Amino acid sequence: MSGRADEFLSEEDLDLKNLSWDELLTHWDLWLHQAQASNDDDWHLYSHGVFTVDPRYQGPPPPKDRFVS
Amino acid sequence: MSSPPAPWSAPWTCAGAEPRLGGRSEYNRSVNPYLDLTREFNQGGLRAIVSSGQAVVLLRLSVASKDGDWIVRETREALEHVLGVLARRGARYRFGAPLDVRWMQGSWSAHLEFQGAGLRLRTDFVTRPPRLGPADLALLWQQQGAVDMPCVDPRRLIALKQTGRERDYAVIGELARLLSDPHEQLLASRSPDDLVALARAQRVVAQRLSEQRPLLEHALHGDSQALATALDAERRALMAADVARLGRYRAASVAWAEAWPALQREMDDQPLLAQHALMAARALDLLPFVLAGGAA
Repeated sequence: MSGRADEFLSEEDLDLKNLSWDELLTHWDLWLHQAQASNDDDWHLYSHGVFTVDPRYQGPPPPKDRFVS
Repeated sequence: MSSPPAPWSAPWTCAGAEPRLGGRSEYNRSVNPYLDLTREFNQGGLRAIVSSGQAVVLLRLSVASKDGDWIVRETREALEHVLGVLARRGARYRFGAPLDVRWMQGSWSAHLEFQGAGLRLRTDFVTRPPRLGPADLALLWQQQGAVDMPCVDPRRLIALKQTGRERDYAVIGELARLLSDPHEQLLASRSPDDLVALARAQRVVAQRLSEQRPLLEHALHGDSQALATALDAERRALMAADVARLGRYRAASVAWAEAWPALQREMDDQPLLAQHALMAARALDLLPFVLAGGAA
């Protein structure tokens, strides 16, 4: 912990600074593999760029203001 | 909270933040799929700069994005090289603009994905990222020209992260703490405590910048509560501006979106370069190069 009163990210995130490069790569790789679990849920969504949803998606439109993805 | 070109800002590199072994960057021995792709994109010359979520990882702030995002040089050679790398990986296009200079000049984005190493790897590209002016973008290319792992620096990443997505503002909060210049910190910080301390230490600078960022007046008066309220309002305004920006692209791509499902079925069995040719030919009639009134 930094000792600051306000932190924007989690303790786990902030601890990334203390990892060696190899540890960071391992953590990153593990995170990417775990994140695959949501692939079926987010196939139609975009997290970057100017497009927000695949036109083949038949469900309700994603909200315009997004909190996470 | 704009991000004008900052001549006072020292060049900054992700690679500079990493230890080196025997003079050789540790990036060169990584096996991360996004770092590997970046190296291939940049073989023989700088063409692609790591941006957004993966840049945040390289800055050691957070691992929170499973997609890769790059700013690519807006030349035919660079875009064809990137496409070639992705073609060798068996990538396919997602809905988006063709990775072609004509659309990239209009600040459209191109999106591709493939399977590799047990992962669904999504690759997103722009050549003209939002909220970065042409001079600042040119300076970024210049600054990243001789580094091992080209990566967007914290100040520019703050501008890119001013999206309609609430969680990006948490990242901005920590990115601002990586800035070394008090001027930049005063323009970017999202912490009332940090801003009050900065304004106390840099009163003249804060007063001058308060014209550009009026909430600094609250920092100068040490009013943390008013500052917190103003920071929330600023975030909401930035989010709304980005939602409006994306709305302009959505409106300009209605015909393209309607044609996409059939086009994607046509492209399904094609190799990437054939997909690209088909997509670009079809987009000529359906997707404007540039939005009416200019890129948003």
